[in-house]
Amino acid sequence: MHIPDGYLSPQTCAAGFVVAVPVLATAAARVKRRVRTRNVPTLAVLAAVSFLIMMFNVPIPDGTTAHAVGGALIAILLGPWAAAIAVTVALGFQALLFGDGGVLSFGVDVVNMAVILPFAGYGVYRLVARGAALTARRRVLAAFLAGYVGINVAALCVGIELGIQPDLFHDATGAPLYSPYHLAQSIPAMLLAHLTVAGVAEGILTAAVLGYLQRANLPLLRVNHPGVPVDAAAADAERTRRRRLRPGVVAAVVVAALVVLTPLGLLAPGGAFGEDSPQDLRAALGLAAVPAGLAHYSGFWHDVLFPGYLSGSPWTYIVSAVVGIVVVGLVVWGAATLAVRLFGRRVPVPPPAAEREDTVEQVTDGPAR
Amino acid sequence: MTGADGSHAGAVAVPDWLVQQDVALCPCGCVGRRRKASFLTRTIRGGSGILQQVLFGEDVAAAPGLLQRIDPRTKIVSLLALLVVAGLAHSMITLAALYALTLGLAAASAMPLGFFVRRVWLFVPIFTGIVVLPATLSVVTPGHVVLTLWHWHGVAEGITTQGLLAAARVVCRVAASISLVVLLTLTTPWVRLLAALRGLGVPRIVVLIVGMAYRFVFLLLGSVTDMFQARQARTPGTPRHDGTARAFVGAGVGALLGKSAQLSEEVHHAMLARGYRGDATTLERHRLRAADLGYAAAVVVVAAALIWGDHVLVPR
Repeated sequence: MHIPDGYLSPQTCAAGFVVAVPVLATAAARVKRRVRTRNVPTLAVLAAVSFLIMMFNVPIPDGTTAHAVGGALIAILLGPWAAAIAVTVALGFQALLFGDGGVLSFGVDVVNMAVILPFAGYGVYRLVARGAALTARRRVLAAFLAGYVGINVAALCVGIELGIQPDLFHDATGAPLYSPYHLAQSIPAMLLAHLTVAGVAEGILTAAVLGYLQRANLPLLRVNHPGVPVDAAAADAERTRRRRLRPGVVAAVVVAALVVLTPLGLLAPGGAFGEDSPQDLRAALGLAAVPAGLAHYSGFWHDVLFPGYLSGSPWTYIVSAVVGIVVVGLVVWGAATLAVRLFGRRVPVPPPAAEREDTVEQVTDGPAR
Repeated sequence: MTGADGSHAGAVAVPDWLVQQDVALCPCGCVGRRRKASFLTRTIRGGSGILQQVLFGEDVAAAPGLLQRIDPRTKIVSLLALLVVAGLAHSMITLAALYALTLGLAAASAMPLGFFVRRVWLFVPIFTGIVVLPATLSVVTPGHVVLTLWHWHGVAEGITTQGLLAAARVVCRVAASISLVVLLTLTTPWVRLLAALRGLGVPRIVVLIVGMAYRFVFLLLGSVTDMFQARQARTPGTPRHDGTARAFVGAGVGALLGKSAQLSEEVHHAMLARGYRGDATTLERHRLRAADLGYAAAVVVVAAALIWGDHVLVPR
């Protein structure tokens, strides 16, 4: 995953710094706002932990071991911005103390492993763990997916960065100057290793740590999960409080989905289904005459608000579209309101439970097994 | 345990026979069963490897030599300049000259040359060499085929001149770049390297975080190796790589996180008690001497000569 010096052109390395520096500056500002004077010791310890996590050998099911980056884990525990800084410092140690990863390519390495990995992983975690209690099994699954997806997205980016080199930078004979593999080779090479081994290791580590913290150190988990109910009962209460079907929201979501899907209609070949005039249909199907029923009922559709979209002016076309959207929204809203009236039972919402005492104390010693 | 020295000594004291418990019985490996190292052994070995490298680096940095006498700021800037030269070079001769230059500097800096060469060339063939090997084939780098390996629909396929040139260039560029970085890191004590970064305009808060993180690494590394050694001590036979092992690693990292959260809280209180208000002040007394300016001038001349020579060798 670390790109050493020599694989990337100096131009690509410069681009890496151009992206990395503002992101890190933003991260520093955000973290400072949140933890104030505590930021220096907190970030220093986190960076040290992040460096040490890369040292852990994760036993993976095939009997071998693999290293994990831990970026997704720190993002889950303290937010992606703190993770960006911690992993950056850890990468700096690796580059300067151990020659692992380059100095010129440091910016690109930071973008891949300290920015893209934690943010992608954290996004997946939030998506999957949404609405789950703090001690729910679903959060463990979400953590696994966060690690797995995060490192694979980062690997994809590495594949792209390496793969664009031969096309952009080659000499007069066509011999590549830097990394010699094209996108078609670099992306599968990176993803094969990460989809099978490294991603699994990262996922296992992230999930195992989250599972341990659920059992042994809830206060640490709570730092980045404010307001998340602790167990299933509390989560249910929270859900019933929140999950009242709101017709307005349903209508807005349906209309938004239709708007988002509209370009599909532009891409699809052919005309609109069932909108042919009887004459066109007769020609298309080679009929001798228009069927009587069709001829009778097609006349009904002449008495409409915008016949032929008032053919011609684009403005009337737009007005008719807006009217159509409003009508669809109103119909969905009406259906949702009806559904709430008919099926919506009034569940008495229990008052939010007082902050529950944790029976498990913070465990700071090594795991006793 | 507070000092870096104390934590080093504590973690290094693992005897070799305990760390390498599963080598074959005969020293040559012909008798007994050679087993793959378990995740416990590998993690402990990784930890002692980190300490070994850091201690060795400090040893070299304390030796009298050319680069040890140069101001770290000058060294960092000249390293970057030479890395860019390595990046921009098109000709193999330029890259070879740059590598020869690093060898000369290493020799002048009291660095064991065998170690310096091995450190770079053990890494380069394993990673870079294997990685770029397929790039010599015409399926990756099309061009003039010099060694036909097979025919595909009547077209000769095999190793191309362009592929060979590209592979050799990448290997040389990586070797020269790694040598340059190793030269800087091995001849500069970590503390002075940090001070130099501050002197070059890196924000003070960043330098403070990195400096503290460096101390925490060794403190927490002790915890990790303790944890893994304890687990190994109470594991009869070879540890299996099963769900329990994964749960142990997860619990280990979790416990490490819990510990470090507590540690950062305590350190924060200690800093506040000593009057920390969010700003760091440092004693900075670095002045560039004639030797530094001379070195910088020499690097500029060499870099310019290399770039010019490269343009002559490979006209663009």
